Amino acid sequence: MVLSGFLIIPLVGMVVILLLPKRAVSSIRMAALLATTLVLVRSLHLLLAFQPQTGLLQFEERVSWIPQLRVFYHLGVDGLSIAMVVLTALLAFLACLASWSIAERQKEYFILYLLLEIGMLGTFLAQDLFLFYVFWEIVLVPMYFLIGIWGGGRREYSAFKFFVYTLAGSLAMLLGIVALYVQTQTFDIPELAKLAPSFAPGLQHLLFLAFFFGFAIKVPIVPFHTWLPDAHVDAPTPISVLLAGVLLKMGGYGFFRISYPLFPEGAQWFAGAMAWLGMINIVYGAFVAMAQTDFKRLVAYSSVSHMGFVLLGLASLTPTGMNGALLQMFNHGTITAGLFLLVGVLYDRTHTRDLTAFGGLGVRLPVYAGVLTFFSLAALGLPGLSGFVSEFLSFVGTFGVWRWQTGISVLGIVVTAGYMLMVLQRVLLGPLNEQWKALPDITHRELTTLVPLLVIILAVGIWPLAVLHLQDPSIQALVRHMFVP
Amino acid sequence: MSLMSLMLGESLRLWLPELLLSVGAMAVLLTSAFAKRSAAATVMTWLVLAGCAVSLWAVPATASHSLFFGLIVVDPLAMVFRWLALGVVALVALMATNSSDVARAWRGDYLSLFLFVGVGLMLMAEANHLLMAYLAMELVSLTSYVLVAFSRDARSSEAALKYLLFGALSSGIMLFGMSLLFGMTGGALAFPALQEAVGRLTHQQTQACVVPVALVVTGLAFKISMVPFHMWTPDVYEGAPVPVTAMLSVGPKAAGLALLLRITGALSPMWPAVAPVFFVLTIVTMTLGNVAALVQQNVKRLLAYSTIGQVGYLLIGFSVHTSIGVEGMLVYLVAYLFMNLGAFACVVAVCNDAQDESLDAFRGLARRAPGWALGLAVCLLSLAGLPPLVGFIGKFLLFGAALQASQVVLAVAAVLNSAIALYYYVNIIRQMYLLEPRRAEALHPALSLRVALGVCGLATVGLGLFPSGLLAWLSRVAAANLL
Repeated sequence: MVLSGFLIIPLVGMVVILLLPKRAVSSIRMAALLATTLVLVRSLHLLLAFQPQTGLLQFEERVSWIPQLRVFYHLGVDGLSIAMVVLTALLAFLACLASWSIAERQKEYFILYLLLEIGMLGTFLAQDLFLFYVFWEIVLVPMYFLIGIWGGGRREYSAFKFFVYTLAGSLAMLLGIVALYVQTQTFDIPELAKLAPSFAPGLQHLLFLAFFFGFAIKVPIVPFHTWLPDAHVDAPTPISVLLAGVLLKMGGYGFFRISYPLFPEGAQWFAGAMAWLGMINIVYGAFVAMAQTDFKRLVAYSSVSHMGFVLLGLASLTPTGMNGALLQMFNHGTITAGLFLLVGVLYDRTHTRDLTAFGGLGVRLPVYAGVLTFFSLAALGLPGLSGFVSEFLSFVGTFGVWRWQTGISVLGIVVTAGYMLMVLQRVLLGPLNEQWKALPDITHRELTTLVPLLVIILAVGIWPLAVLHLQDPSIQALVRHMFVP
Repeated sequence: MSLMSLMLGESLRLWLPELLLSVGAMAVLLTSAFAKRSAAATVMTWLVLAGCAVSLWAVPATASHSLFFGLIVVDPLAMVFRWLALGVVALVALMATNSSDVARAWRGDYLSLFLFVGVGLMLMAEANHLLMAYLAMELVSLTSYVLVAFSRDARSSEAALKYLLFGALSSGIMLFGMSLLFGMTGGALAFPALQEAVGRLTHQQTQACVVPVALVVTGLAFKISMVPFHMWTPDVYEGAPVPVTAMLSVGPKAAGLALLLRITGALSPMWPAVAPVFFVLTIVTMTLGNVAALVQQNVKRLLAYSTIGQVGYLLIGFSVHTSIGVEGMLVYLVAYLFMNLGAFACVVAVCNDAQDESLDAFRGLARRAPGWALGLAVCLLSLAGLPPLVGFIGKFLLFGAALQASQVVLAVAAVLNSAIALYYYVNIIRQMYLLEPRRAEALHPALSLRVALGVCGLATVGLGLFPSGLLAWLSRVAAANLL
């Protein structure tokens, strides 16, 4: 019941909020906050109880759900997912705090918010392909409404685009799941990891591609990325945080959990393409981000660039590169979440995200300036902060395998430094725009949402083993599994 | 003589649900002719439906019984379709008592016609004889023509006339096919005899037999709106009163597929000759339905094209011609019954209130009636095939059946279609949740509509989360049915 608790607590929270009257806004908020806090506490307990050195699936729960289809309610956590579970619990908690700024229809908002949390956690916990797909799709529905109702700008269009894109991708994945089931008569992921690698290479390639489409749209891999800037920009701040911090990771996690262990032959066949795609993501994302004048859009494109390191690391098929990739998912989750929160802080005060409209805010908002500088430096990969470690590991692991692609990708780092410093310059330095003379500095509540992320980024930057020792045994086991003769 | 009456008695015992329904329909008709108040007919209808349900529950469902001297057969497969028919009639009756488009012309015989349709639907699924099949289809068709015209305005009458003309033509084609079959097989009419006779045909005769088979299938293709015999569907669905549209979108589709199963079962030696045609038409049907639905602005027309698309998915189970395919089709039919009728219950409520059938009528429904918007959203997401709703389970089985039969093209086409369909289903959800309402006042639909939506919504979610009972029942049925 250890893992089911992660799903039951938000579910109970949903029911409680459902029963509360619409007007009781503060009770609704407290109920949601309580649920996300309990999940966070539970995830920290899990972290303490987790035994990383084994590299095995732990806290397994397995109950028959649909016996006719051999579907099991099968949960479990290992080194590949533990960091993602903690990241999800943490960001869901912080974004819940940031949701205080939601001004209308709070009851519906928090019900959907908790449903989203169930879907995200379930995706990382599921060890049954059917269950995985159910949670994967459950994420879509609340996300659609959260962007469409509480978003800004062209929210309807963006929500719709997000929904249709991701669902089209997951339908390809569904076809893969059905094909796997027809072949093996099971949905159990660990069991499939034993059976599927013996499939004929042609079938493995096809299945790899089917799942690839599902995951590629989520990551997103260029050219399937066009939903991302729209959705990220038009979503309300807390939802942007979850989109960038957790939803993109679902795509990357899919490769680690399903594509690689189930179709090692397909993964090796596709590794070259993956390296090229990673390179394109890194360089293209960085250049497009540089051209943006909208702060939020810039951060959104920086996500495309940063997720490229995950692909590059995955393409290496070496323990070092894949460790870098998995760590990069965790680090990007914390760094980008912080950047989106910071964009939100500024937007709540000025109601604009146009980078050219700011200037000289460093004097007016010293605390904000400090925090923004910290997160920007983390994003550009300053040594000593977490982003550097994972990007470096990806490069080191991949350079020996895909020399050219890795070499060109370094260009992306340079461009990233360029646009991140440009942000700092445009927002914080230069002459103060008279319009923002009376702007108040960051509040305590806003700071509360950022400090935990800041601490984690610094801690992982100084002592990356804290996260690496969680995931390394599982990654080693995965690589060994993939290269079994 | 005594043997004969014994057989007749046994037949009547197993056929009690239909008997109750037929007698009840006539009683409702008489009541409405003499009683001044419509409530009498309504109460009577519910008594008949309850009696039918009880007797259906009591009828043994495990073995196959041939009744009325081989005219009809009652087996586990028929049982599924009898329950489906009863479900359709009951849910539609809930909608019909409170639909404003017939309120002007409200008469008790409206309900009695639905009961007659129910008898026809059950008979279609039980037919074991060509003539019985024809009679059952005509019973459904004739009552449907009258029901379509029940709004008694120009649009409704036009729809009914169109339906009648198309229907009469396709019945004629079917009858012609049957007569050819009768001649070629040396006078076989009952399905077992037909199967035996077709099995004895020489190769050349089998090839010649393709023509009558195609003609018979045409008649059924018309009923289930299979492309290219679907043209009547959007016009008739748009013109008919909403509850009648709801009935037409589920009842005859289910019964038509049942009869298709029986006839192709009887003509099984012919199957290899017609299989490629079905394969192609399955893909064409779902693609045309879904693509045409994209541009519809009238909600009834949209649901008409969506029905054609859904029939395409159902036909996957039929086209692959395996017991897993049949199982998938049956599961999807049960799913379709609830999700589609749930959507229609909501359409009745909204269109009654707005006196408008365009998609605009759904604007801001989430503000005006949150429960209704949620119910319709659940049904639409299930139609789109999102887990964990029951439509997903059905689609999953159908895709699995296609891949199991190595029909990768069919599975890929179905997946692409699901992606297309998503657009117009989510568009309605967008109207309800993301747009501001035109009018602010809350929607207060009648109790019976609330019951209909409640039942459908709960079944859509409940059977999606806990489908094992349904799957166990239907896989037993599919395994017992020897195509």
